Amino acid sequence: MEQECADNSVVLCRSCDLVISKRALPSGVRALCPRCHTTLYDTPYCSINGMLALCLTALLFLLPANVLPVLELHFLGSVRTTTIIEGAMAVSNQGYWIVGIAVLVSAVIAPALLILSVLFQILIIKYRLNSPFFRDILKRLLSYQGLLAQLSMLEIFMISILVSVFQLSDFADIFLGMGTFCFAMLFLVTLFLQREYNLEHMWGVLDE
Amino acid sequence: MSDLNNKTQGITIGLTPCPSCGKLSVHSDIHCNRCGKALVMRDYSSLQKSWALLITAAILLFPANLYPITMLVNRGQIRHDTIFTGIVHLVESDMFPIAIILFTASILVPLLKIVGLTAYLLAISFRLPISKQKLMVGFHIIEWIGRWSMLDLFVISITAALVNMGQLLDAKPAPAATAFALVILLTQLAAKVLDTRLLWDRLESKDDAN
Repeated sequence: MEQECADNSVVLCRSCDLVISKRALPSGVRALCPRCHTTLYDTPYCSINGMLALCLTALLFLLPANVLPVLELHFLGSVRTTTIIEGAMAVSNQGYWIVGIAVLVSAVIAPALLILSVLFQILIIKYRLNSPFFRDILKRLLSYQGLLAQLSMLEIFMISILVSVFQLSDFADIFLGMGTFCFAMLFLVTLFLQREYNLEHMWGVLDE
Repeated sequence: MSDLNNKTQGITIGLTPCPSCGKLSVHSDIHCNRCGKALVMRDYSSLQKSWALLITAAILLFPANLYPITMLVNRGQIRHDTIFTGIVHLVESDMFPIAIILFTASILVPLLKIVGLTAYLLAISFRLPISKQKLMVGFHIIEWIGRWSMLDLFVISITAALVNMGQLLDAKPAPAATAFALVILLTQLAAKVLDTRLLWDRLESKDDAN
């Protein structure tokens, strides 16, 4: 019985440990646990080349999104601009370094690492680098993938920029610049990249 | 395979998924043969960890809401705002949609997260007959929406960096910001470390109609 089930015919729900026999799904459909409605698996749809394109586009926007100012404020003739990192520094300098680190990690570091990690995974798989060294790197990258995905909060920062625009437009004139555009594009591309990406499928590559 | 009904759990047929990569292994294995992580049938200590994190977060919720979270200097006048007074101020200046967003992200979500997780942990610890399915739906919502509390902190960091014209107009974070950041961190961790399978094990024996 044990050996019989250890193949790919059943899955266990990771939230409630229910045994579910696996069935083929039409594309674009997710399987949910019948008991606790946790997502079990979906159809593997990750085109490696598509993801590579998204990854490279994201890398292209990564630097300008972090270096160029995301917001510009004009107040009585003086101009103030800010990047994400300057925002984190401004809070840290007031003594609230925990807040500063939280902002820096979730809006700059985690997204950057996420994109780089996916890029390396794709390159290893695309060029079939099968040596133990690359397999080990792939394993490590995959085991941190879930954490990075949870830490990166580009979508929340995007909404925060909009909220700030509305709040500050009461006091002063707000302008959106090239940095805002690059950040919005980074957010969109990363969103599509994460939709395309399937962690289970990536782990499956190691079995082959 | 014929004895698989809709109640069979992995633990009874001797299988366990790897906590890291999800590959199924038999109980006798110590390490996952795909990713090399240690296998655990059930993480019983996760209940204690989750309680500890949750209680700390619940305590920190008080300073986070009672102390001011921002300080605004406007033409020499200093105003301190807690999360709540900041939202009231937004409503007064007719920015209703923004006020609703901030109210949900900064007050409703952290509070519901703590109440929801408490109900969840109580149900496991004291075998309360609460509907498991409802608890699990709540848990999924908590996991998904919890991150959105970061919104307020992002807005504060943007505002603090942009608005710094000395006595004329100056916005700075205030002590509640740190407490609020810790509340978010600790509640997210409390949900993450918990082995949710414990709920389904412990109530299984009583069969309380799910």
